[in-house]
Amino acid sequence: MKGKSVITCDGENKMADCKQKINVLAFENAALGYGKYVVLNGLSLVINEGDFWGIVGPNGVGKTTILKAMLGVLKPLSGQVRRNRNIRFGYVPQRQFIDEVFPLTAFDVVMMGRYSRLGVFARPSSSDREFVMGCLRHVGIEDLASKPYRELSGGQKQRTLIARALAAEPQVMILDEPTNDMDIGSEHAIMELLSRLHREDNITIVMVSHLLNVVVNYVEKLALIDGGIRMVGDTKDVVSSENLSDVYGVPVKVASFDNKMVVLTGGRDGQRF
Amino acid sequence: MVSVFKSSFLQTALIASLLVGAVCAYLGVYVVLRRIVFVGAALAQVSSAGVGLAMLLNRSPLLVSLLFTLGGVAAFSVKSRDRRITQESIIGIGYAVASALAVLFVAKSAQGEAHMLDVLSGNILTVTPCEVWWMAGIGLAAVMLHVLLSKQFLFSMFDSETAQASGIRAGWWDLFFFLVLGIIISLAIRLAGTLLVFAFLVVPAVTGLLLSQRLGRVCTIAVSVSVLASILGLYMSVRMDLPSGPSIAAVLFAMLVIAWVGTKIR
Repeated sequence: MKGKSVITCDGENKMADCKQKINVLAFENAALGYGKYVVLNGLSLVINEGDFWGIVGPNGVGKTTILKAMLGVLKPLSGQVRRNRNIRFGYVPQRQFIDEVFPLTAFDVVMMGRYSRLGVFARPSSSDREFVMGCLRHVGIEDLASKPYRELSGGQKQRTLIARALAAEPQVMILDEPTNDMDIGSEHAIMELLSRLHREDNITIVMVSHLLNVVVNYVEKLALIDGGIRMVGDTKDVVSSENLSDVYGVPVKVASFDNKMVVLTGGRDGQRF
Repeated sequence: MVSVFKSSFLQTALIASLLVGAVCAYLGVYVVLRRIVFVGAALAQVSSAGVGLAMLLNRSPLLVSLLFTLGGVAAFSVKSRDRRITQESIIGIGYAVASALAVLFVAKSAQGEAHMLDVLSGNILTVTPCEVWWMAGIGLAAVMLHVLLSKQFLFSMFDSETAQASGIRAGWWDLFFFLVLGIIISLAIRLAGTLLVFAFLVVPAVTGLLLSQRLGRVCTIAVSVSVLASILGLYMSVRMDLPSGPSIAAVLFAMLVIAWVGTKIR
């Protein structure tokens, strides 16, 4: 496959090198799935502290499955997923999966991020409350603390969920489709927020998205998924017209505009560009 | 109104209704939020089937209905991996089978169908002080335990995936909630019958959710509504010579309608 040269860590012959660098988590020839159903096979990937990863691929190829394995919620069917036990993870799920029938404020939702740091019977202390307010402030929605979660806009809900992940004081933040169903303004604002958390707070970020145009201009490393890892490496190396056309099965053109990558699909009359 | 409750059996009935109402209304908030309202109905029916079998075998109704309910908890809390069979279908089948079994067991029991009405609509007027003590002890223990562990229950129900990723075993907490619910339902049904228990589980919680956007206040409103409906419903049943359970359920519904109209006018 073209683009193979950019692969940093997807073959057993290179696993020895990868092991030297592990400090967050590593997939070692892992097969992931549910019951007998294998979604992804031969998965090898290493995530180091300070990385900003994007995991992209067509719908239904197992992007969310990888995240579940990263979080330790899903055990591999074979192979290994090694997680550094000293590192705290924060998770931001797809906000569409959050049930809005619950009468909770933005503050209540963010407070849930502190629960893992409290004892079984312990109640949140005043310092926990201050910390939660700090997280809301950090993502720019301190004034919405007492507003019901269900009444927030899509972008505000996403910020609330990011603040909840921050409340766990994570070194690694894992996000599932954080800019889904957002207008371009909110989309841009969320990506800028993540970029700031990575840059200023030194949080390692791994995000899944199917919105290539959004991801490619922010993440530093990219994994293209399609039944397994098809390509992985630095974003600028992975994102090429040829690689994306191969994975998505449609003509894709990667262009540059104002120092930003633009991904276009479908040539004239369905032909390649 | 006070004169109506002067007789000791009515005082016992009132205390029983207040206890069942308060405990079920509190847990009911989480039943409604977790979208398992039908589980409440199905567990109540499974518990009735247990009472029916106990009548048939001349065994302790509480013990047999508790065993049945725990079996129902196990069946309803497990998520089917077979995509063709939804959890909702399993609960529906459980409800139908349990309803049929309850009728069949009672029909063949020596005590006959006279007890059927008590099992279904309940007769809170015949409750004994001993049954009230049991309900008070276990009901208050269940609520206190739930309050103490509310953060785990809440997080698991609100966003089980993230809760699990945070190290909270959402599946276990879910099962634990079902267990507590099952025990309370089988106890409460002995006192108030399936109709009233189901009404206490759903109606006050929905009334609370209509009137407030804060979880704490929703619980407080739900419990208050159940207390008020118990007093008014029992008073109405004595004054108008009506069955107690349906009277209380009718008052609960009237309060829900008033709350709904209130939210529309506001």
